[in-house]
Amino acid sequence: MNKERILQILNYVVKNAEADQVEAVLMGGETYLTGFANNYIHRNVGEESYELNIRIVLGKKVGASSTSDLSDEAINEAIRNAINIAKLQKDNPDFVSLPQNYPGDNEFIFVSQVPDAETRASMVKKLVDASRKYGFISSGKFETEKFQLAVKNSLGVERYMERTVSTLKNIVMTDTSSGFSQESKQDFREINIESILEESLEVARMAQNPIEISPGKYEVVLSPYAVEEFLSSMKYLSLNAKNIEEGTSFMKGHFGEKLFPDHISLYDDGLSNETLKMGFDFEGVPKKKVYFVKEGVILDVLYDSFYAYKEGKDPTGHSLPQPNSLGAYPMNFFVHGGTSSVEEMISHVERGLYVQRFWYTNPMEPTSLLITGMTRDGLFLIENGKITKPVKHMRFTESILNAFKNCLEISNISKIIYEDGAVTTAPYMRIKDFKFTSVTEF
Amino acid sequence: MQEVIERALFTAKKLGATYADVRLIEREAEDITVSNGKVEGVKKRLTKGFGVRVIVNGAWGFFSSYNVSPEEGEYVAFNAVQIAKASAMTKIEDARLAQVEIYQDKVLQPVKIDPFSIPLNKKIDFMLSLDKLMEKPGIIVRSSSMHFSKEWKTFASLEGAFIEQERIVSGAGLQAIATDGKEIQIRSYPASFGGNYARKGYEFIEEMKLEENAERIRDEALLLLKAKPAPSGIMDLIIGPYQMALQLHESVGHPTELDRVLGEEASFAGTSFLTPEKLGNFQFGSKYVNIVADATVPDALGGFAYDDEGVKAKKIYLVKEGLFVGYLNSRETAFKLGLEPMGAMRADGWNRQPIIRMTSINLEPGNMTLEELIAGVNEGLLIDVNRSWSIDQKRLNFQFGTEIGYEIKNGKIQDMVKNPTYSGITYEFWRSLDGVGNESYYKILGVPNCGKGEPMQVMEVSHGSSYARFRNVRVGVKHE
Repeated sequence: MNKERILQILNYVVKNAEADQVEAVLMGGETYLTGFANNYIHRNVGEESYELNIRIVLGKKVGASSTSDLSDEAINEAIRNAINIAKLQKDNPDFVSLPQNYPGDNEFIFVSQVPDAETRASMVKKLVDASRKYGFISSGKFETEKFQLAVKNSLGVERYMERTVSTLKNIVMTDTSSGFSQESKQDFREINIESILEESLEVARMAQNPIEISPGKYEVVLSPYAVEEFLSSMKYLSLNAKNIEEGTSFMKGHFGEKLFPDHISLYDDGLSNETLKMGFDFEGVPKKKVYFVKEGVILDVLYDSFYAYKEGKDPTGHSLPQPNSLGAYPMNFFVHGGTSSVEEMISHVERGLYVQRFWYTNPMEPTSLLITGMTRDGLFLIENGKITKPVKHMRFTESILNAFKNCLEISNISKIIYEDGAVTTAPYMRIKDFKFTSVTEF
Repeated sequence: MQEVIERALFTAKKLGATYADVRLIEREAEDITVSNGKVEGVKKRLTKGFGVRVIVNGAWGFFSSYNVSPEEGEYVAFNAVQIAKASAMTKIEDARLAQVEIYQDKVLQPVKIDPFSIPLNKKIDFMLSLDKLMEKPGIIVRSSSMHFSKEWKTFASLEGAFIEQERIVSGAGLQAIATDGKEIQIRSYPASFGGNYARKGYEFIEEMKLEENAERIRDEALLLLKAKPAPSGIMDLIIGPYQMALQLHESVGHPTELDRVLGEEASFAGTSFLTPEKLGNFQFGSKYVNIVADATVPDALGGFAYDDEGVKAKKIYLVKEGLFVGYLNSRETAFKLGLEPMGAMRADGWNRQPIIRMTSINLEPGNMTLEELIAGVNEGLLIDVNRSWSIDQKRLNFQFGTEIGYEIKNGKIQDMVKNPTYSGITYEFWRSLDGVGNESYYKILGVPNCGKGEPMQVMEVSHGSSYARFRNVRVGVKHE
């Protein structure tokens, strides 16, 4: 759908919904996913879909509705639904207003070409042919999307964004191992297939016939994939004003305190060149750079308009589609990079583990951010500064806070990891006393 | 609607499809969340669209659109065919489907009380009254949620299938989070992560007895703050039906999905230790373990009349008297192993291609009372309601935590304990089961959020179980 039609729909909603305040958000676009397994394309899908979200404010009552059917009749029904909900609502005394129109660009276009079905299949063919050549099995996906987001409200907000993102992921499996690599780019032509092949094949080759070692505390070097997965729980449990108000965040009561070493800085920055950019949030508020932790000191959290206005602040541009029980969310999370090369980091480990990837991580305790999960697709013993042997996979049970306190080194390179519409820019991290609690059979 | 389907199927066939199906779905949903005395959000969602799945040149293609019109029917089918042709560039062998009976049917779901007929303000008032019941010093978050949906789905295929199905779902749950400033404890009712869901009308909410349990979970959350930590070590474990739901889901449901087994989900969800040579030959559990996949259980969230390939709902055994005997399958994976399609292909909406999903995966009841199960334990724990979960990508090494536990000593229940966890290797764990509660304890938990697949699909499944007793389980995890 073109921009004009999208804005026409939003204008219609804002003009025709009789209420104190109105917000219309339209998001969607085209998404294609070419999935492969056993060295062939087994799932190849495409969709064109949109969702129109409407928020209606009557005094301190808020009603919301959505529709994926964009016919006039369906849009009118969605408007009626939101108004009816607002009328039947209770007052929310903490609600102040929908967002004001904050200064900033109104249009953000971060797009390139969307590849056709044959081009997508050709890229996948390179991966599966290479795996087949070595007698290995490739599985993965090539996903490409053109995402459009437009927000208009009755307080003057009108913003439009278009973004393309493509992700190529490859898992190479042998009889006794697997190796993983993934890359996401705004322009699919910049995806380095050779580098993905090299990393996934090399890890799978090296990881064959793993030995079993005992669980316990190990010094680890985590790859960016592992860092992203390990920190994923923190992003929805700790970093927004709702988490603070409800008392579930480790940051509560510690603002201004130095909890971590100097080299730990965590922030969100939607407009950095080192992320897949996003100009504004799902309320149309421009993205601000927010430091959660700067040089080890606890600094700030994210605000959507509800929590910002409730606390007399400005929203930071991190709202998810409303209503949303998660609160504000870091869509462009950064772990600040360090100064070491990966080789240097490994060379500093006397006896430890290199972790390519974690899997199925979940929090056990929210405030200490105690997390458990498994290693996956490459786990290696490091001895005397060198990777020496592949190791059977293990379960870790570790607190994110302890891991930051025990972080010895951060790499000078980072990788953009795109999962479920959000981006983490993650480096390698060397961490001492990382706890592994059990082993598995492979 | 009829014309959209006909034009899509006609176009697909004309362009070379040897198989094609169309799913057209309209869905209406209402979500209400209340937190700390305020309505956090009320939203009504409408969705409508259709998807076309084809086999062309022996390979799959799928395309979908929000725009339901006859012209779009042709466009969507054309795109699905183009995508299938591209898929064929890497083909190793032709995609083939096991034969099934072809149905034309219309299945309505009768409910006692249409959930959308209950006024919104009545639902909100009820939830606010529940919220009030959970208010007490030390409780930092009180939350409750309700969900209702009504779906109308039409499935048609080039083989002549034409099936219309109605689906109505209701669900609700409560949660209280307590803190003493140092730690957090959580109690939920009837289960965590949104409560319980069923294919029923508003009568399901009335049957849940939410008012009668709000104060109990509030007080249990506060008591947990003062409870002693759960022990660590090797001991016996009695697991309640709501935690058993998660145990069945992660260690039986997922590893018996035949697409995983055959490597089709390897890049995301992983594979499975239940490889084909084990079918009929592998001692999955003890002789007390009888686990079925049953899409025919009335009202269960994982049930339906026909799956999204038009296969009629069935009950099959996955594990019988401990032996691994069945897979969840699709027409394609059934053909590959020479099995009979059992109807587990489902998509979470019109814009997704069906993949193999759990139906209602249930541990059949045994013949013991809870008292008898407890009496047989010298040293152990009784635990229930999931709090944390993790399992490796072959579904072997698992570690789960529950909201609440009670010590058992010398056959008697003792003190409440907090933060209980247990872990194991799947088949070793199921082999240690030596007693299952009788039908009077049997509960079915509807789970609305099973995630699988790329692109991600969220599916409604369910799990039935009584209390179950496991011997010599590793309890607790040393992480300090």
